[in-house]
Amino acid sequence: MKQCVSLHIVILLLSGFLASEVSGFSFPVPSIPHLDKATKAAKEVSRAQRPISDEEEYYIGRAVAAKILSSYPLLENRALTGYVNLIGQTIALHSDTPQTYGGYHFAILDTNEINAFACPGGTILITRGMISATRNEEELAAVLAHEVAHIHHRDGVASIKSTRWTEALTVMGVEATRSYTPAQVSQLVRIFEGSVEDVFKTLVVNGYGRSQEYQADETAMRALSRAGYNPASLRDFLLVLAAQGTTTSGGILKTHPGTAERIENSAHTMPSGKSDESTALARSARFNTALRK
Amino acid sequence: MIPRILITSLSLFILSTSVVLAETARIITKENALREQCRFFSPVKARMQYADVITVISKEGDWYRASFKGIEGCIHKNAIEEKSFTLSGISGTEKRSATNAEVALAGKGFNPQIEASYRHNHPDMNFRAVDLIEGYAVSETDLLDFINKGGLNRP
Repeated sequence: MKQCVSLHIVILLLSGFLASEVSGFSFPVPSIPHLDKATKAAKEVSRAQRPISDEEEYYIGRAVAAKILSSYPLLENRALTGYVNLIGQTIALHSDTPQTYGGYHFAILDTNEINAFACPGGTILITRGMISATRNEEELAAVLAHEVAHIHHRDGVASIKSTRWTEALTVMGVEATRSYTPAQVSQLVRIFEGSVEDVFKTLVVNGYGRSQEYQADETAMRALSRAGYNPASLRDFLLVLAAQGTTTSGGILKTHPGTAERIENSAHTMPSGKSDESTALARSARFNTALRK
Repeated sequence: MIPRILITSLSLFILSTSVVLAETARIITKENALREQCRFFSPVKARMQYADVITVISKEGDWYRASFKGIEGCIHKNAIEEKSFTLSGISGTEKRSATNAEVALAGKGFNPQIEASYRHNHPDMNFRAVDLIEGYAVSETDLLDFINKGGLNRP
């Protein structure tokens, strides 16, 4: 009898275990008072290892964008901004992260510099100079796709020092509250400031690493192909920049792999796909209208 | 004796696994939509806000069929936090929702309160422009028209 009961329990536990595995969810366990402290500690460890939430990424991205926009003025041209947003939203919907906490937003910085920045969470800033350097909608889409890929891979927030997360988790504790004491706010703001600086330095000063750029190019070409743009447009635009010998102080071109290396890498990883030539005229016409070329 | 226990246990096992997708999940985007079909641009049946809790019925590729306030539709996997799902009651009739604590924890860390303090300390940061950028909206109609006229693919 004892064996039968044990068997029964094992099967029930197995069913619970499998159910949790099938769906990839956690299995709720009954609360045991003396384990509360251990559970809390385990929660802290688990949360220390978790990636930043979409909401937190959004707030860091807003601050990074605000910092960039305090150096570069925003181009308030609704027609051109609208056109860039239509291309960008099309690419985003074909990306592996079609939605973010606050959504994707594309805006133009009023400068001749050739650059683009992917702020964490989905705000993408592209310079007027970069837009002018593109020769067609496909190339403009390629630049935006590259930035969307950085959002997807969370390359911006990856540059935040891990010690900041550990510190933030210590301040936050495990209590379920959305508001903090003035002392906690002060500590978190300091960590927030540091995180914004980390991301800003990577985006504007140091640039991403080799693997991040290659990965973003590959991801961008897949999104271009899915959207119906020619994925080769990314390589074509990199060739244009290489021919111009364009250099910038940061952003898309300030990367550890040089433009020539990215061109070579893109040739190996380019997916198949071409744009619909029958509608090329329509794309060309709207590109020229938007850019007044 | 053993066969009867085995049959009972196996029945419970089958029952528990068959209802496993009747889960609750939390919306992790500021706002989102429950759509008629599991694809973008499909008509919107209901709108949801951050932290709203939906019941997930089944998975269809990158989409989930789910219900919200009694309305059934589809939502993209990016919009919900999969790890916030919880198992249904083992009887299959009682569903456990995300707890208040789970929902509250979602807003922890860098949140509006932290941004407000940061802005206070850094009045030179151009948040006005950021708000303006977030205010740009592309309607679904315009986006679909842009895709169609440009010979691009619908997502």
